[in-house]
Amino acid sequence: MASVTLDNVTKAYGDEIAVEDMNLEIRDGEFLTLVGPSGCGKSTTMETIAGLTQPTEGSVYIGGRDVTDLPPKDRGIAMVFQNIALFPHMDVYDNISFGLRLRKYDQEEIEKRVDRAAEIVQLGGMMDRMPEEMSGGQRQRVAIARAIVRQPDVFLMDEPLANLDAELRIHMRTQLQRLHRELDTTIIYVTHDQAQAMTMSDRVAVIDNGHLQQVDPPLTCYNAPDNLFVASFIGSPAMNFFHGAVTDDGFGSEFMNLGFDPEEIGATPGKDATLGIRPEDVYLKRDREEATVPSETIKAHVDVLEPMGDEVFTYLLLEEDVETSAEGRGEGQLLLSLDPQTDIEEGQKVEVVFDRHEAHLFDSASEEAIAHSLA
Amino acid sequence: MSDAEPEHPDLAAQERSEEPELDRGVVEAWAAKMISNPDRAYKSLFYIATIFFLLTTLYPFFWLLMVAITPSGSLNDVGVLTPGGFNPEAFIDIFQLLPFHRFMFNSFLIATVSTVLVLFVASLAGYVFGRLRFRGKTPLLLTVLVVSFFPPAAFFVPLNRLFNRNVDVLRPLLADGSLFNTPFAIVIPVSALYLPLSIFILMTFYAQIPDGLEDAARVEGTTRLGALFRVIVPLSAPGVATAGVLTFITVYNEYFFSSLMTDGRPEMWAPMLEGVLAFRGQYEILFNLMAAASIVAVLPVAILVIVAQEKIVSGLTSGALKE
Ligand SMILES: Nc1ncnc2c1ncn2[C@@H]1O[C@H](COP(=O)(O)OP(=O)(O)OP(=O)(O)O)[C@@H](O)[C@H]1O
Ligand SMILES: [Mg+2]
Repeated sequence: MASVTLDNVTKAYGDEIAVEDMNLEIRDGEFLTLVGPSGCGKSTTMETIAGLTQPTEGSVYIGGRDVTDLPPKDRGIAMVFQNIALFPHMDVYDNISFGLRLRKYDQEEIEKRVDRAAEIVQLGGMMDRMPEEMSGGQRQRVAIARAIVRQPDVFLMDEPLANLDAELRIHMRTQLQRLHRELDTTIIYVTHDQAQAMTMSDRVAVIDNGHLQQVDPPLTCYNAPDNLFVASFIGSPAMNFFHGAVTDDGFGSEFMNLGFDPEEIGATPGKDATLGIRPEDVYLKRDREEATVPSETIKAHVDVLEPMGDEVFTYLLLEEDVETSAEGRGEGQLLLSLDPQTDIEEGQKVEVVFDRHEAHLFDSASEEAIAHSLA
Repeated sequence: MSDAEPEHPDLAAQERSEEPELDRGVVEAWAAKMISNPDRAYKSLFYIATIFFLLTTLYPFFWLLMVAITPSGSLNDVGVLTPGGFNPEAFIDIFQLLPFHRFMFNSFLIATVSTVLVLFVASLAGYVFGRLRFRGKTPLLLTVLVVSFFPPAAFFVPLNRLFNRNVDVLRPLLADGSLFNTPFAIVIPVSALYLPLSIFILMTFYAQIPDGLEDAARVEGTTRLGALFRVIVPLSAPGVATAGVLTFITVYNEYFFSSLMTDGRPEMWAPMLEGVLAFRGQYEILFNLMAAASIVAVLPVAILVIVAQEKIVSGLTSGALKE
């Protein structure tokens, strides 16, 4: 149990700056998830906290103690590595008990703890397998067990559930949450899986290109993203964006116009702005009562349907001749998610509305959020 | 060239299955057969090379055995393939006439201490060169390697003077405070000389161990040094075995310092080499005893190689490690 503080931490590999001027305070007992695109510096942040790399600038505190110059073994941390990193020359039992044996725990205590950890990760009966004789998911569970036996002050987990199948992942997710509750340990977690980030974390830290974008509870990041990056990164599928400008009486862009009083929300007419609408907040016209404050009707036609099972991702084109590029959604496209029961086909003309209460407006130049409701 | 032009005559000749009945010499006919059937040529070449290799390496050993079992009176009768008599007592005499076992023990001790020393220092150096990044690494590595290119003779005079000097601080440890006539007089120079090779071998092995494993060990509670000896070294076992065996054999077989750094008496830590040569008396040379001593001296090394061969082979050939 300990808080973790990063104070102006910068880590550069030569010219490449992996993490820049990061200030992050993780509270005692908190479950904090780091999210961000590949290569944004999540693992580097973890390694800096673990003491595996020295920050180029800044300091790291664990439990109020400056640990910047302490080696990893004296920091009271345990880590699950992104590349698993089991010791290939040791069997599962030796792998899990490695840290305990180094710390000279007595045999009985070691066995008790290893059994308990193996139970949590469902690895009973595999104690004398060698890592090379196990599947990726089994290895990953051994790595988790190796971290949890030591009962450290801080857990660092770098994508610990990446190699597991869906069922096991959900099981482990609950197990980790239960473990977190039981041990009350500070957990710093990295994941690419939005579901994990949203369900497990007390707070989510969104990182882009080495810079911290927002640190807030998951729902705050979802409902009130600080900037364009967070808005586009959090939520799956990603938000719809329309690039335009603030006008005297609202927002105007090529395909989408919206009336509101700019002054009321603190927007400056004439400035470039971006309107963001989540796919979940767009409804067919006949379902308009579901929106808190429905917008005016938008005419469109269905371009592509992607049935996902529990929902159908529906890509709409707002005008006939909109160019659709291969990568991502273009300007004139609008994605909404519909119930699979909905009677709809490709090419069909539809009328939709979106929930103005959930529409976001961003300053295009600074990318900062201006408003999270345009009702 | 037009298509109508006739094909080259050689092409037609190649397609003919049967050799035309030419009047050829034996060698020429044999060569023609080999060309038409290269697999046979490779096979026979393989056998020829193997037999040649076995002859050149094993025959001297065989002949040594022939000499060893010949009684000292009939040494002139030793033939190319036959002994001059049969008297295996030489293998007992070498231990009775002289304490040859003591010479061997000395050599064994010197080789073992040197190997341990070399492996330890080379592990540290191999870790630094193989796994750390720092400025001036390449020049430093080259400097280390250059040491191994020096002829041992270049070191002899200064070392001999140094080791013959009485050093007061060593007085409580060594009889007269000088290193001459102690195992260290051999261990120190040969370790230094053969260290670079081991550094090089271990460096390439240690460099291949994934960083993640070292990181994991350090998070689990080892120091860098602990990670080296608990994780990196065990995973580089073939490399360590190769470096160790090579060092052991070279030191055990070493001639130059072994013959010069002691006065030749077994109680003065003279190595096996001096033991073999000691059967060269003032009036006669006991070739059969020398031969027997040589054979006995080879045994520990032969056993070592047989025991460690699997590791050495994988160490010398692959040098690779799966992640
Ligand atoms: N040892 C290193 N030497 C040089 N550059 C490095 C090193 N480690 C990381 N980097 C760089 O630092 C940046 C951040 O890397 P990091 O591993 O932290 O990304 P990440 O957020 O963990 O990505 P992923 O989600 O793919 O694991 C990357 O651009 C990477 O190329
Ligand atoms: Mg990473």
